[in-house]
Amino acid sequence: MKHLTKIKTFKITQHGEIILFLICLLSMLFTLPSPALAHKVSVFAWVEGDTVHTQSKFFGGKKLNDARVNVFDAAGNLLLEGRTDAGGEFSFTAPERAEMKIVVSAGMGHQADWTVRATDFADLPEVSSSIDANASQPSTPFPIVQTGSSPTHNPAFPADSKEIQIIFEKALDKKLTPVIKMLLEAREQPPGMRDILGGIGYIVGLVGLAAYFSSRKKKDALKQ
Amino acid sequence: MHISEGVLSAPVLISGGVLALAGTAVGLKKIDYEHIAQVGVLSSAFFVASLVHVNVGPSSVHLILNGLVGLILGWTAFPAILVALILQAVFFQFGGITTLGVNTVVMAFPAVVCYYAFSAVRHKNNTIAMAAAFLCGFTAVFLSALIMGVSLVFTEENFWEVSWLIVIAHLPLMIIEGIITLFSLMFLKKVHPAMLEK
Repeated sequence: MKHLTKIKTFKITQHGEIILFLICLLSMLFTLPSPALAHKVSVFAWVEGDTVHTQSKFFGGKKLNDARVNVFDAAGNLLLEGRTDAGGEFSFTAPERAEMKIVVSAGMGHQADWTVRATDFADLPEVSSSIDANASQPSTPFPIVQTGSSPTHNPAFPADSKEIQIIFEKALDKKLTPVIKMLLEAREQPPGMRDILGGIGYIVGLVGLAAYFSSRKKKDALKQ
Repeated sequence: MHISEGVLSAPVLISGGVLALAGTAVGLKKIDYEHIAQVGVLSSAFFVASLVHVNVGPSSVHLILNGLVGLILGWTAFPAILVALILQAVFFQFGGITTLGVNTVVMAFPAVVCYYAFSAVRHKNNTIAMAAAFLCGFTAVFLSALIMGVSLVFTEENFWEVSWLIVIAHLPLMIIEGIITLFSLMFLKKVHPAMLEK
Protein backbone atom coordinates (compact mmCIF):
# COMPACT_ATOMS: atom_id res chain seq x y z
CA MET A 1 0.00 0.00 0.00
CA LYS A 2 2.84 2.34 0.85
CA HIS A 3 4.34 2.01 -2.61
CA LEU A 4 1.01 3.05 -4.22
CA THR A 5 0.99 6.34 -2.32
CA LYS A 6 4.54 6.93 -3.50
CA ILE A 7 3.42 6.72 -7.12
CA LYS A 8 0.53 9.08 -6.46
CA THR A 9 2.75 11.82 -5.06
CA PHE A 10 4.96 11.69 -8.16
CA LYS A 11 2.09 12.27 -10.54
CA ILE A 12 2.53 15.91 -11.56
CA THR A 13 1.19 16.72 -14.98
CA GLN A 14 1.91 14.39 -17.83
CA HIS A 15 4.74 16.55 -19.03
CA GLY A 16 5.81 18.27 -15.83
CA GLU A 17 9.13 16.51 -15.90
CA ILE A 18 10.16 17.69 -19.31
CA ILE A 19 8.99 21.19 -18.48
CA LEU A 20 11.23 21.00 -15.42
CA PHE A 21 14.06 19.92 -17.65
CA LEU A 22 13.38 22.82 -19.97
CA ILE A 23 13.46 25.23 -17.06
CA CYS A 24 16.79 23.76 -15.95
CA LEU A 25 18.12 24.24 -19.45
CA LEU A 26 16.99 27.85 -19.56
CA SER A 27 18.52 28.57 -16.18
CA MET A 28 21.79 27.11 -17.42
CA LEU A 29 21.79 29.95 -19.93
CA PHE A 30 21.94 32.54 -17.22
CA THR A 31 24.43 30.80 -15.00
CA LEU A 32 27.05 29.95 -17.58
CA PRO A 33 30.01 32.28 -17.00
CA SER A 34 30.75 33.40 -20.53
CA PRO A 35 27.66 33.66 -22.69
CA ALA A 36 29.66 34.07 -25.85
CA LEU A 37 27.03 32.78 -28.24
CA ALA A 38 29.64 31.51 -30.63
CA HIS A 39 27.53 29.81 -33.15
CA LYS A 40 27.50 32.21 -35.91
CA VAL A 41 30.38 34.13 -37.34
CA SER A 42 30.10 37.72 -38.41
CA VAL A 43 32.29 40.10 -40.32
CA PHE A 44 32.14 43.79 -40.90
CA ALA A 45 34.40 46.09 -42.83
CA TRP A 46 35.15 49.78 -43.00
CA VAL A 47 37.23 51.94 -45.26
CA GLU A 48 40.09 54.26 -44.36
CA GLY A 49 41.40 56.02 -47.41
CA ASP A 50 42.26 53.21 -49.79
CA THR A 51 42.59 50.54 -47.13
CA VAL A 52 39.73 48.24 -46.26
CA HIS A 53 39.80 46.93 -42.71
CA THR A 54 37.81 43.88 -41.73
CA GLN A 55 36.93 42.58 -38.32
CA SER A 56 35.63 39.04 -37.90
CA LYS A 57 34.37 37.31 -34.84
CA PHE A 58 32.08 34.72 -33.44
CA PHE A 59 28.67 36.10 -32.63
CA GLY A 60 28.97 37.26 -29.05
CA GLY A 61 32.51 38.60 -29.08
CA LYS A 62 35.17 35.95 -29.44
CA LYS A 63 37.65 37.04 -32.13
CA LEU A 64 38.04 34.84 -35.17
CA ASN A 65 41.65 33.83 -35.42
CA ASP A 66 43.27 32.54 -38.61
CA ALA A 67 40.10 32.37 -40.66
CA ARG A 68 40.17 32.45 -44.44
CA VAL A 69 39.09 35.74 -46.00
CA ASN A 70 38.18 35.94 -49.69
CA VAL A 71 37.41 39.21 -51.42
CA PHE A 72 35.29 39.13 -54.58
CA ASP A 73 34.39 41.94 -56.93
CA ALA A 74 30.84 42.75 -57.96
CA ALA A 75 31.00 40.16 -60.75
CA GLY A 76 32.06 37.40 -58.38
CA ASN A 77 35.72 37.18 -59.41
CA LEU A 78 38.18 36.51 -56.63
CA LEU A 79 40.26 39.64 -56.11
CA LEU A 80 42.45 38.54 -53.24
CA GLU A 81 42.51 36.35 -50.19
CA GLY A 82 44.15 36.28 -46.82
CA ARG A 83 43.74 35.19 -43.22
CA THR A 84 42.62 37.01 -40.13
CA ASP A 85 45.10 37.66 -37.36
CA ALA A 86 44.72 36.84 -33.68
CA GLY A 87 42.53 39.91 -33.23
CA GLY A 88 40.20 38.77 -35.98
CA GLU A 89 41.35 41.59 -38.22
CA PHE A 90 42.46 41.55 -41.82
CA SER A 91 43.24 44.64 -43.87
CA PHE A 92 44.05 45.09 -47.50
CA THR A 93 44.52 47.88 -50.02
CA ALA A 94 41.50 48.05 -52.23
CA PRO A 95 42.49 47.20 -55.81
CA GLU A 96 39.78 49.54 -57.01
CA ARG A 97 37.19 51.79 -55.44
CA ALA A 98 34.29 49.63 -56.38
CA GLU A 99 31.82 47.37 -54.71
CA MET A 100 33.35 44.21 -53.29
CA LYS A 101 32.18 41.28 -51.22
CA ILE A 102 34.23 40.06 -48.31
CA VAL A 103 33.62 36.45 -47.29
CA VAL A 104 35.03 34.97 -44.11
CA SER A 105 35.09 31.19 -43.57
CA ALA A 106 35.81 29.75 -40.17
CA GLY A 107 35.63 26.09 -41.12
CA MET A 108 32.95 23.60 -40.06
CA GLY A 109 30.47 25.32 -42.31
CA HIS A 110 30.60 28.71 -40.59
CA GLN A 111 30.67 31.57 -43.02
CA ALA A 112 29.73 35.22 -43.13
CA ASP A 113 30.00 38.00 -45.66
CA TRP A 114 29.98 41.78 -45.88
CA THR A 115 29.58 43.95 -48.94
CA VAL A 116 31.67 47.09 -49.23
CA ARG A 117 29.88 49.60 -51.43
CA ALA A 118 31.59 51.91 -53.87
CA THR A 119 30.15 54.86 -51.93
CA ASP A 120 32.04 53.77 -48.81
CA PHE A 121 35.21 55.03 -50.44
CA ALA A 122 35.63 58.77 -50.04
CA ASP A 123 35.64 60.66 -53.31
CA LEU A 124 39.33 61.48 -53.20
CA PRO A 125 41.47 62.71 -56.05
CA GLU A 126 44.66 60.73 -56.55
CA VAL A 127 47.07 63.14 -54.88
CA SER A 128 49.27 61.67 -52.20
CA SER A 129 52.89 62.71 -52.62
CA SER A 130 52.34 66.36 -51.71
CA ILE A 131 50.66 65.33 -48.49
CA ASP A 132 53.61 63.24 -47.40
CA ALA A 133 55.88 66.19 -48.01
CA ASN A 134 53.68 68.33 -45.80
CA ALA A 135 53.62 65.77 -43.08
CA SER A 136 57.37 65.69 -42.84
CA GLN A 137 57.54 69.41 -42.07
CA PRO A 138 55.40 69.93 -38.99
CA SER A 139 57.34 72.89 -37.68
CA THR A 140 56.98 75.11 -40.76
CA PRO A 141 54.60 77.95 -39.93
CA PHE A 142 51.73 78.87 -42.20
CA PRO A 143 52.59 81.86 -44.34
CA ILE A 144 49.63 84.19 -44.45
CA VAL A 145 50.33 85.71 -47.76
CA GLN A 146 51.54 83.71 -50.67
CA THR A 147 52.55 85.58 -53.76
CA GLY A 148 54.18 84.53 -56.96
CA SER A 149 54.74 80.80 -56.49
CA SER A 150 52.31 78.16 -57.64
CA PRO A 151 50.50 76.53 -54.64
CA THR A 152 51.15 72.94 -55.67
CA HIS A 153 54.91 73.43 -55.62
CA ASN A 154 55.09 74.91 -52.13
CA PRO A 155 55.25 72.07 -49.61
CA ALA A 156 54.67 74.28 -46.58
CA PHE A 157 51.28 75.63 -47.51
CA PRO A 158 48.67 73.30 -48.97
CA ALA A 159 46.70 75.97 -50.69
CA ASP A 160 45.38 73.51 -53.21
CA SER A 161 41.83 72.65 -52.19
CA LYS A 162 42.27 69.04 -53.23
CA GLU A 163 45.04 68.58 -50.72
CA ILE A 164 42.98 70.18 -48.00
CA GLN A 165 40.22 67.77 -48.81
CA ILE A 166 42.55 64.82 -48.52
CA ILE A 167 43.92 65.95 -45.16
CA PHE A 168 40.37 66.54 -44.00
CA GLU A 169 39.19 63.11 -45.12
CA LYS A 170 42.12 61.41 -43.45
CA ALA A 171 41.46 63.18 -40.17
CA LEU A 172 37.79 62.30 -40.39
CA ASP A 173 38.62 58.67 -41.10
CA LYS A 174 40.81 58.53 -38.04
CA LYS A 175 38.12 59.97 -35.81
CA LEU A 176 35.24 58.06 -37.29
CA THR A 177 36.75 54.59 -37.41
CA PRO A 178 36.23 53.80 -33.72
CA VAL A 179 32.72 55.21 -33.92
CA ILE A 180 31.85 53.08 -36.93
CA LYS A 181 33.26 50.05 -35.16
CA MET A 182 31.09 50.78 -32.15
CA LEU A 183 27.99 51.16 -34.28
CA LEU A 184 28.59 47.95 -36.18
CA GLU A 185 29.13 46.05 -32.97
CA ALA A 186 26.00 47.52 -31.48
CA ARG A 187 23.97 46.32 -34.44
CA GLU A 188 24.52 42.72 -33.50
CA GLN A 189 22.05 41.63 -30.92
CA PRO A 190 22.70 38.24 -29.38
CA PRO A 191 19.53 36.17 -29.09
CA GLY A 192 17.57 37.52 -26.17
CA MET A 193 14.66 36.46 -24.05
CA ARG A 194 12.33 37.93 -26.64
CA ASP A 195 13.62 35.64 -29.35
CA ILE A 196 13.47 32.58 -27.12
CA LEU A 197 9.92 33.29 -26.04
CA GLY A 198 8.94 34.05 -29.61
CA GLY A 199 10.24 30.73 -30.84
CA ILE A 200 8.70 28.74 -28.03
CA GLY A 201 5.45 30.60 -28.62
CA TYR A 202 5.33 29.38 -32.19
CA ILE A 203 5.98 25.81 -31.09
CA VAL A 204 3.20 26.02 -28.53
CA GLY A 205 0.91 27.43 -31.21
CA LEU A 206 1.70 24.59 -33.61
CA VAL A 207 1.11 22.02 -30.90
CA GLY A 208 -2.21 23.68 -30.10
CA LEU A 209 -3.27 23.64 -33.74
CA ALA A 210 -2.29 20.01 -34.12
CA ALA A 211 -4.21 19.07 -30.99
CA TYR A 212 -7.26 21.02 -32.14
CA PHE A 213 -7.40 19.38 -35.54
CA SER A 214 -6.79 15.94 -34.11
CA SER A 215 -9.62 16.36 -31.63
CA ARG A 216 -11.93 17.52 -34.40
CA LYS A 217 -11.04 14.45 -36.40
CA LYS A 218 -11.86 12.32 -33.42
CA LYS A 219 -15.19 14.09 -32.89
CA ASP A 220 -16.15 13.57 -36.51
CA ALA A 221 -15.16 9.95 -36.27
CA LEU A 222 -17.31 9.54 -33.17
CA LYS A 223 -20.33 11.17 -34.82
CA GLN A 224 -20.40 8.59 -37.56
CA MET B 1 26.75 22.54 -36.02
CA HIS B 2 24.46 24.63 -38.12
CA ILE B 3 25.92 25.05 -41.57
CA SER B 4 25.65 28.63 -42.80
CA GLU B 5 24.27 29.90 -46.08
CA GLY B 6 26.56 29.91 -49.06
CA VAL B 7 28.88 27.13 -47.95
CA LEU B 8 27.34 24.10 -49.59
CA SER B 9 26.89 23.38 -53.26
CA ALA B 10 23.42 23.19 -54.82
CA PRO B 11 23.29 19.38 -55.25
CA VAL B 12 24.08 18.89 -51.57
CA LEU B 13 21.42 21.42 -50.55
CA ILE B 14 18.81 19.83 -52.78
CA SER B 15 19.50 16.27 -51.66
CA GLY B 16 19.46 17.46 -48.08
CA GLY B 17 16.10 19.08 -48.69
CA VAL B 18 14.65 15.95 -50.28
CA LEU B 19 15.88 13.70 -47.48
CA ALA B 20 14.56 16.09 -44.84
CA LEU B 21 11.15 16.20 -46.53
CA ALA B 22 11.02 12.42 -46.69
CA GLY B 23 11.97 12.10 -43.05
CA THR B 24 9.44 14.74 -42.04
CA ALA B 25 6.69 13.00 -43.99
CA VAL B 26 7.37 9.76 -42.16
CA GLY B 27 7.57 11.62 -38.89
CA LEU B 28 4.26 13.37 -39.43
CA LYS B 29 2.56 10.10 -40.30
CA LYS B 30 3.81 8.49 -37.12
CA ILE B 31 2.99 11.44 -34.91
CA ASP B 32 1.18 10.49 -31.76
CA TYR B 33 -1.57 13.05 -31.30
CA GLU B 34 -2.27 11.79 -27.82
CA HIS B 35 1.14 12.99 -26.76
CA ILE B 36 1.51 15.96 -29.04
CA ALA B 37 2.54 18.18 -26.13
CA GLN B 38 5.62 16.00 -25.66
CA VAL B 39 6.66 16.77 -29.22
CA GLY B 40 6.27 20.49 -28.57
CA VAL B 41 8.23 20.39 -25.34
CA LEU B 42 11.12 18.45 -26.88
CA SER B 43 11.15 20.72 -29.90
CA SER B 44 11.38 23.70 -27.55
CA ALA B 45 14.21 22.05 -25.62
CA PHE B 46 16.09 21.52 -28.88
CA PHE B 47 15.37 25.11 -29.89
CA VAL B 48 16.82 26.52 -26.71
CA ALA B 49 19.66 24.02 -26.45
CA SER B 50 21.77 25.65 -29.13
CA LEU B 51 22.10 28.73 -26.97
CA VAL B 52 23.94 26.67 -24.39
CA HIS B 53 27.46 26.44 -25.71
CA VAL B 54 30.63 24.66 -24.77
CA ASN B 55 33.93 26.43 -25.42
CA VAL B 56 36.44 24.13 -26.99
CA GLY B 57 39.80 25.74 -27.65
CA PRO B 58 39.65 27.79 -30.84
CA SER B 59 36.03 27.18 -31.68
CA SER B 60 32.82 26.75 -29.82
CA VAL B 61 30.09 24.14 -30.05
CA HIS B 62 26.57 24.14 -28.66
CA LEU B 63 24.25 21.58 -27.13
CA ILE B 64 22.19 19.63 -29.62
CA LEU B 65 20.13 17.16 -27.56
CA ASN B 66 19.17 15.16 -30.62
CA GLY B 67 19.85 11.89 -28.79
CA LEU B 68 17.23 12.69 -26.19
CA VAL B 69 14.76 13.98 -28.78
CA GLY B 70 15.19 10.91 -30.95
CA LEU B 71 14.87 8.42 -28.16
CA ILE B 72 11.55 9.83 -26.97
CA LEU B 73 10.03 10.85 -30.29
CA GLY B 74 11.42 8.40 -32.82
CA TRP B 75 10.62 9.46 -36.40
CA THR B 76 8.67 12.44 -35.11
CA ALA B 77 12.10 13.89 -34.30
CA PHE B 78 12.22 15.01 -37.95
CA PRO B 79 9.31 17.49 -37.87
CA ALA B 80 10.20 18.52 -34.32
CA ILE B 81 13.77 19.35 -35.26
CA LEU B 82 12.77 20.92 -38.57
CA VAL B 83 10.41 23.32 -36.84
CA ALA B 84 13.00 24.18 -34.21
CA LEU B 85 15.62 24.80 -36.92
CA ILE B 86 13.28 27.09 -38.85
CA LEU B 87 12.66 29.08 -35.68
CA GLN B 88 16.37 29.21 -34.90
CA ALA B 89 17.08 30.50 -38.38
CA VAL B 90 14.42 33.18 -38.05
CA PHE B 91 14.96 34.25 -34.45
CA PHE B 92 18.64 33.59 -33.86
CA GLN B 93 19.98 33.65 -37.41
CA PHE B 94 21.62 30.30 -36.79
CA GLY B 95 22.11 28.33 -39.94
CA GLY B 96 20.19 29.41 -43.01
CA ILE B 97 17.04 28.88 -45.00
CA THR B 98 18.58 27.05 -47.94
CA THR B 99 20.55 24.86 -45.56
CA LEU B 100 17.46 23.85 -43.56
CA GLY B 101 17.21 20.50 -45.33
CA VAL B 102 20.83 19.57 -44.74
CA ASN B 103 20.83 20.80 -41.15
CA THR B 104 17.67 18.83 -40.45
CA VAL B 105 19.21 15.64 -41.82
CA VAL B 106 22.42 16.28 -39.85
CA MET B 107 20.52 16.49 -36.58
CA ALA B 108 17.37 14.42 -37.02
CA PHE B 109 18.75 11.39 -38.81
CA PRO B 110 21.07 10.41 -35.93
CA ALA B 111 18.12 10.97 -33.61
CA VAL B 112 16.09 8.30 -35.43
CA VAL B 113 19.08 5.95 -35.59
CA CYS B 114 19.55 6.24 -31.84
CA TYR B 115 15.86 5.60 -31.33
CA TYR B 116 16.24 2.19 -32.90
CA ALA B 117 19.71 1.45 -31.61
CA PHE B 118 19.28 2.27 -27.95
CA SER B 119 15.90 0.89 -27.01
CA ALA B 120 17.88 -0.89 -24.29
CA VAL B 121 17.20 2.24 -22.27
CA ARG B 122 13.88 0.71 -21.36
CA HIS B 123 15.62 -2.31 -19.92
CA LYS B 124 14.83 -3.10 -16.31
CA ASN B 125 18.48 -3.37 -15.31
CA ASN B 126 19.57 0.12 -14.38
CA THR B 127 23.20 -0.29 -15.37
CA ILE B 128 22.29 -1.37 -18.88
CA ALA B 129 19.77 1.45 -19.12
CA MET B 130 22.29 4.02 -17.97
CA ALA B 131 24.92 2.79 -20.39
CA ALA B 132 22.41 2.89 -23.23
CA ALA B 133 21.33 6.41 -22.29
CA PHE B 134 24.90 7.70 -22.23
CA LEU B 135 25.73 6.02 -25.53
CA CYS B 136 22.56 7.39 -27.06
CA GLY B 137 23.55 10.98 -26.33
CA PHE B 138 27.14 10.33 -27.33
CA THR B 139 26.43 8.53 -30.60
CA ALA B 140 23.82 11.02 -31.75
CA VAL B 141 26.35 13.85 -31.70
CA PHE B 142 28.99 11.62 -33.26
CA LEU B 143 26.73 10.69 -36.17
CA SER B 144 25.74 14.32 -36.61
CA ALA B 145 29.41 15.27 -36.88
CA LEU B 146 29.93 12.55 -39.50
CA ILE B 147 26.96 13.61 -41.62
CA MET B 148 28.17 17.19 -41.38
CA GLY B 149 31.54 16.04 -42.70
CA VAL B 150 29.84 14.25 -45.59
CA SER B 151 27.91 17.36 -46.57
CA LEU B 152 31.01 19.54 -46.35
CA VAL B 153 33.16 17.18 -48.39
CA PHE B 154 32.08 18.83 -51.61
CA THR B 155 33.35 22.20 -50.48
CA GLU B 156 36.40 21.28 -48.45
CA GLU B 157 39.21 19.26 -49.97
CA ASN B 158 39.70 16.27 -47.77
CA PHE B 159 36.74 14.39 -46.30
CA TRP B 160 38.74 12.48 -43.70
CA GLU B 161 40.55 15.56 -42.51
CA VAL B 162 37.41 17.66 -42.26
CA SER B 163 35.34 14.95 -40.60
CA TRP B 164 38.13 14.17 -38.19
CA LEU B 165 38.39 17.84 -37.19
CA ILE B 166 34.65 18.11 -36.67
CA VAL B 167 34.52 14.93 -34.61
CA ILE B 168 37.43 16.02 -32.44
CA ALA B 169 35.88 19.45 -31.94
CA HIS B 170 32.64 17.86 -30.79
CA LEU B 171 34.19 15.21 -28.55
CA PRO B 172 33.66 17.18 -25.32
CA LEU B 173 30.12 17.84 -26.45
CA MET B 174 29.53 14.13 -27.06
CA ILE B 175 30.54 13.39 -23.50
CA ILE B 176 28.46 16.21 -22.07
CA GLU B 177 25.41 15.21 -24.09
CA GLY B 178 25.89 11.61 -23.05
CA ILE B 179 25.77 12.71 -19.42
CA ILE B 180 22.76 14.97 -19.95
CA THR B 181 20.88 12.23 -21.78
CA LEU B 182 21.83 9.81 -19.03
CA PHE B 183 20.41 11.96 -16.26
CA SER B 184 17.31 12.96 -18.22
CA LEU B 185 16.40 9.42 -19.14
CA MET B 186 17.06 8.07 -15.67
CA PHE B 187 14.88 10.79 -14.24
CA LEU B 188 12.12 10.02 -16.74
CA LYS B 189 12.38 6.32 -16.11
CA LYS B 190 11.83 6.81 -12.42
CA VAL B 191 9.16 9.46 -12.59
CA HIS B 192 7.25 8.92 -15.80
CA PRO B 193 8.27 5.71 -17.54
CA ALA B 194 5.23 5.86 -19.78
CA MET B 195 6.97 8.58 -21.74
CA LEU B 196 9.61 6.10 -22.87
CA GLU B 197 7.15 3.50 -24.03
CA LYS B 198 7.11 3.32 -27.81
